[in-house]
Order: sequence, then C-alpha cells, then structure tokens
Amino acid sequence: MINAIEITELMKTYRGKRMTRVEALQGISLKVCAGEVFGFLGPNGAGKSTTIKILMGLIRSTSGTASVSGLDVNRPESRRFIGYLPENPSFYDYLTAEEYLRFVGGCFGMPGSLLSRKTEEYLKLLDLWDARKRPIRGFSKGMVQRLGLAQTLLHDPDVYILDEPMSGLDPVGRALVKEIMLDLKRRGKCVFFSTHITADVEAVCDRLAVIVGGVIRKVQRVDEIMAQGVEAYRVHCTDDDQALRVEPAALRETLAKLEQGGRKVTLVEPIRAGLERFFLDVVKECAAEKPV
Amino acid sequence: MAFVLVMAPLSRHLHDRPLFERLGHVPQPEVLKAVSADQAQAVGAAMVMKVMIYFGGLSDETMNRQKTPPDYPAMYRVISGAVKLDPYNMDAYYFAQAVLVWDVRKVDLANDLLDYGMKYRTWDWYLPFFAGFNNAYFLKDYVKAAEYYRSAGELSGSNLYKSLAGRYLQESGRTGLAIVYLSTLVKSEKNEAIRKSYEVRLKAYRVVQIIEQARDLFQVNHGRLPSTIDELIQERFLSAVPVDPYGGRFSLSPKGEVRTSSNFVFGRAKNDERKPE
Amino acid sequence: MYVIALTTLRGYLRDKIAWSVLLVAILFCGVPFTASLSMRQVTELSLTLSLSLVSFVLLVLSVFFGGTSLWKDIERRYTFSVISLPISRSKYLLGKFFGTAAFLTLITLFLIPVALAAVYVASHINPPDRPVLWATVLICIGFDLMKYILLVACAFLFSTVSTSFFLPIFGAILTFFAGSMSQQVFDYIHSDAARALSPTTKLVATFVYYVIPNFSAFNLNLNAVYALPLSLQGVLLTASYFVAGVSLLLALACLLFNRREMN
Repeated sequence: MINAIEITELMKTYRGKRMTRVEALQGISLKVCAGEVFGFLGPNGAGKSTTIKILMGLIRSTSGTASVSGLDVNRPESRRFIGYLPENPSFYDYLTAEEYLRFVGGCFGMPGSLLSRKTEEYLKLLDLWDARKRPIRGFSKGMVQRLGLAQTLLHDPDVYILDEPMSGLDPVGRALVKEIMLDLKRRGKCVFFSTHITADVEAVCDRLAVIVGGVIRKVQRVDEIMAQGVEAYRVHCTDDDQALRVEPAALRETLAKLEQGGRKVTLVEPIRAGLERFFLDVVKECAAEKPV
Repeated sequence: MAFVLVMAPLSRHLHDRPLFERLGHVPQPEVLKAVSADQAQAVGAAMVMKVMIYFGGLSDETMNRQKTPPDYPAMYRVISGAVKLDPYNMDAYYFAQAVLVWDVRKVDLANDLLDYGMKYRTWDWYLPFFAGFNNAYFLKDYVKAAEYYRSAGELSGSNLYKSLAGRYLQESGRTGLAIVYLSTLVKSEKNEAIRKSYEVRLKAYRVVQIIEQARDLFQVNHGRLPSTIDELIQERFLSAVPVDPYGGRFSLSPKGEVRTSSNFVFGRAKNDERKPE
Repeated sequence: MYVIALTTLRGYLRDKIAWSVLLVAILFCGVPFTASLSMRQVTELSLTLSLSLVSFVLLVLSVFFGGTSLWKDIERRYTFSVISLPISRSKYLLGKFFGTAAFLTLITLFLIPVALAAVYVASHINPPDRPVLWATVLICIGFDLMKYILLVACAFLFSTVSTSFFLPIFGAILTFFAGSMSQQVFDYIHSDAARALSPTTKLVATFVYYVIPNFSAFNLNLNAVYALPLSLQGVLLTASYFVAGVSLLLALACLLFNRREMN
C-alpha cells in the first residue's frame, strides 16, 4: 500500500549570512496513511513550515526523500493530488474569489462544467458566495483563509496539506474547518496539518507528531495520549452547581458516598493532563537534552 | 503667493539671459547619440527646433535693431550636432543654408554640411540646389556649381535648374541667380521668421536688379559706367533714391558693382553711419 | 501556462498604472501641432515624434512591469499559492513572461492607430516630398515591440536571481542603454579612430557587445521616418535574433528560477 505522505531521512540546511549554517531539519522520517488526520505539532521555528515547503516543492531538501501519493515531491505532477493551504495565504488580489478559483481549477486542468459546479459548492460551503464578485483585495484575513480552504478542496485531492489552517479564523470559522476535516476523514482522505495549538489537534487528529529543533520527538496516536494520564475526575451532581474534584484512587469511594447520601450523580468527567501537557513535556525534555 | 511673486522676475531673468546661454550647451554629438538610445531622431529634431525657436525670437530683436549679437557659432554647433544624430534631418540643412550662409557667410561650413547631407538624402534635389547656389553666388566656382545644378535638375526631374544654371552661371548673373534662388524658396517656406528674412532679401535684390538695369542702360547710352547712384537719378535712369530694406545706402563701386552699406544684414548700417568711409 | 499568462495579463489590465497609458495617448493629439513647427519635414517630424512616444511608453511599461512582475509575486507571497499548483516553475515563469509580452502587444495595438492617425493628420496638412511607407512604419513599431519584449526577458532573468525590484528595474534600464549603444561603441573600437585604445579594452568591449542584447538592430526609425527601403535580409536576421535571444534568456531564467528557494 502506498502511504499518502512518506518522508525519509529528510534534511535541510540553510546557509545563512556570514557562513552560518542553520540545520532546519535533521533527518526526519514520517509516514502518513490515507484516511488519517495527522497533526504536525511544534513550537515556532521547529521546522514545520520547512517540512511542508519541501513537500510542496517550494524549497529543496539537502538530503533525503519525500513523496506524496507515491510521487517524488520534486515532480510537479505530485502536486496534482495535493490540496495545499499556505500559512497566511495571499492570492492575486486583483482577481475576485470566483475568478481565483477558476484560475486554480484551470491550473489543475479541471473541465469547465465540473469547475463551475465545484466553485459554487465550495464558495457556498465556506460562506464566500455573496463575496464572490468582489476582488480579493478587499477581503478580511478570515475570508482569505476560507478562500484558501476552498482552493484546497476544489479539485478533490487525496492529500490535504494545511499550514496553520486555523490561524486568522474566528470561532465559527474554526468550527467549520474542524467539521470539514472530519468530513474529509470520513471520505478516506489524508489530512496533514501543522499547528501550535494543541486543542485543534485534540479535536480532530488521529495521530500527531511533535517536532522540536528539526527533529521529530514523538509520533503517537491521539487516543493513546488521551487514555493515559487521567489526573482526576470531575463529578457533577444534581441540585449542586459545584462539581467535585476527585482523585482517581478515591473515585469509587466518593461515588459510593454520594449515593449513600441520596444525591444523584449526573456526570463524571476525567480531567487529563491532556495534549497540552504532553506537548509541553516533550518540548521541556528537548530543552533539557540540549547541551547549551 | 510667493510663487507668483517669484515667477515674473524669474521669467524676465530667463528672457534677458545672454543668447548663447539660452541656446544652451550641447554635449558632444557622439555622446548624445549614444545616450539617446532609439530616440536619436527625436533628439536631433529637438536640437534643430531649439535653434529655430532661438532664431525666431532673434529675428524680431534684430529687426528691432536691438544690439544683442546673434550667436551664430553656437547655432552652427547645434545644427551640425543635430545632423550627427540624424543625418536625414532636412530641417537642419535647410536652416543652415537659410541662415548661416547669408548672415555669417560661412559658406564653406554650409557646403560641408550639404555634402554630408547628400550622402544620406540621395533623393533630395534641394541639397545640390543649395550647394550649386552657394558655389556660384558666393564662391564663384561655376564649374562646381554647374555640377550641383545638374544633379539637382536630375533629381527634381525637371530641366529648370539646369537651364537656370546655364543662364546665370557668370559673374554678371549673380543678382538674377539670387532672385531665382530666393523666389524658389520663399514660395515653399512656411516658417514665418525665415520667410520674412527671404522676403526682405528678395526685396533688396529686386532693388539691386533695378539699379543694375539702370546702370546697364546708362552704359549703353553714355559708353561709360556711372560713378554714383545720384548720377543715375539725375540722368533719370532711376526715378527715386532706391531704398535698402536693410536700412543701408546703395552705392556703386568703381567697377560698377552695386553695393550697400548694410551689406544685406540688419543692424550693420548703423555702425557704418557712425563711421563713414 | 496559458492560464498563468491570461491571469497575468488580467492583472496588468486591472492595474491603474496601465490605464495611465491612456493619458499618454492624449499626447499624440499634440503631435501634428508640434510637427507643424518643422520647416521642411512636417510629416517626418510627426513620424519621429509618434515613434518616439510609442517607444517611450513601451520602454516604461516593459521596465516597470517586466522588472516588478515576478518580484511582486514573490514579495506578496503569491508564489506560495501558485507554485504549489501542479505546474512546473518553468511554466509559471513562461506564463508570466507571455502574459507580460501579450500586455505590451495589446498596448502597442492600441497605440498604433493613435500614432498613425497623428501622422495621417500631419501628412495631410503638409504632404511630404516622399509618401509615407505605412507598411515600413508598422514594421518599425513591430520591431520596437520585439525590442521591448526582449528587454522584458532580460528583466525576468534579473528577477529570478534578485530578492528586490532594484536589480530587475535598474538592470533592465542599464541593459537597455548599453544594448542601444553597444553597436556604436563596437563600430567605434573597430574604426581607425580607436587605434590608441588598449587591446584589453577592445577585447572587453567586444565581449560585452556579444553578451548584451543588441537593441540598435531593432531600430528601424530612420527607415520609417524617411521612407528608406528596408533590407529584407536585415529584417529577417533581426527577427531571428529576437527569437534566439528571447529563447536563450528565458531558458537561463527558467534554469535559475528552478533552483530558487521560496522562503
């Protein structure tokens, strides 16, 4: 079976001014399957954007290989099966939203009737239908971001590579994006997105990778992370606004006590250290490892 | 407000600047041609235009007998620079011929320019026509003149210039030659300043022609040349004192040639009056 | 590539600067009047002025748009969204180039009737000694257009290695002037007058002559203005030079652009 995204021993070294060398990627390897939503987590400057730019053929790796849908990323055809949303996207601002999507569809060689149908569908989905005749110049940041999403969906690719897809969106927009991602997952597509906000990952991801300092530190299933490390439970009862915080060891006992007291327990919530803690721990670990 | 206050004195200052300053400094034609890229013709035309506008303003001043001396060397420099940029520019040759030859008598320079132009404007009969006239009238080189006139005749497709040349290519035919030359040009001239200068000159030559005819009649009748213009008037060969449109006084040389103290140039008569021969 | 070219062209046509060209067209109304100042060559002067104006407009547009087209895409990060589409960078570059060339062609097609009308009016006020060779005038403007398309190719080449608009714009201006005078300099150093020059100077000048585009070859103004016959061989050679030159410059630009990192 072909992995949707396959990265092997990828290295990238930038040559900076005055002969300084910055090793942005130090040999990362990663496999992402079809039907998977994959979160690419890392602090700023960890190498997320560099990885994505290599996948999109915007920059060249120093060594190692990367392929999307089995095609080497250095070949323009590999991008035929990718929907890409750049970080803080910017589009030809003299075009209208509709013209821009037609331009993109043209580059993908989509037939006219299909293009018209899809353009309408996605402009409506992303709430840009009323603004379709307006030049992008006058769009708000969120509108541009949504147009970018429409562009990634337009040609119905198998792989979605989204660089910080939630940035610049209001809560309604975020919810919409999450919904779209889950829908894509249902349809068996692969979604690979970078973020530094753990809550986004928690909501939609199957797996995640944490990259710090150009090295992938952890690759793990999100539900595994969620399963471990329940710190406490929050117990809600009827006729009581206050929820009780209960240590795991004392849970059984507490529940029994409450029942004896004639109170009805309505909800027991686990309180997890969660992804945030997991992420911070990984970053902290790395900082400790560093000799300097 | 301040702008308005400054504007009037500024424009007066610019107007009163010495003329050579107004004509401006023109860089080396080779350099100019190099930097003008594909606009060499336009730059050449602009240079000729500059001289023409300078001359247009000048003619009035000279005719009003103002004392500013025209800067002919600068005009020549600009014109010869212009044809380096655009060797086909007819305005340049025409202007050189119309102004430089008559007013400064730099006939050799003008002929050099005309020869240069003939290498390029191979179809143009005006250039040999001018050169022929210059050679005949000013340099009295009738052999060369005849050659140029023949060439002009061939190019223009008419024998007019050849026959005219034959008729006037001799010492005594100078006035006739000039009159034919000037009336040919005055007909096709549309530049006001230049046409005016032609008209004045033509008028002067017509007067000279009248005096010459009177002189010849006198000689036939008396068997000798008249010694003065007054003698012609007294003997009723001339009805009145001939008027020089340039403001000079006509006289006869011992050989019987008609002279004028203006020498066909505005402003010179005054000096002569102050310092009579 | 066609889509890119079309979109590029659309961008130019929606640019306010492009519309200011319309204002220049008004200047053409003044051509017959200015030309009538001439004593002996009103039509020739009107042709000179018209060709100058056309050439000047094309120069400004080709330097400005040729120099900033690629830079603007990179600067405004349009390249991220466009280059990540399944088109090769070469096609993107060529698309942008042909869009720019098409824009210059459109402007030229717009200016031609205006310029010819100005000359026509002037030639009717004062008929010239030799009739205007309209075909030569059109060929002359066509070669002007070729010249500026070649200049755009130069500007694109500079753009592929530059991170600012400085090199493309000033590089194009310098190339234009150097390329316009290279023939004159070349002729000079091979004349007797230049015997005193050192052989090294001559060698360098000869080298530069062959490396930079020879724009003076495209200058047919004299033929158009003074109705001089065109040399068929010269015209064909220059046209071939145009094709070869543009291809070479674009191939080089593609090569460099493919290696460029989009950060």
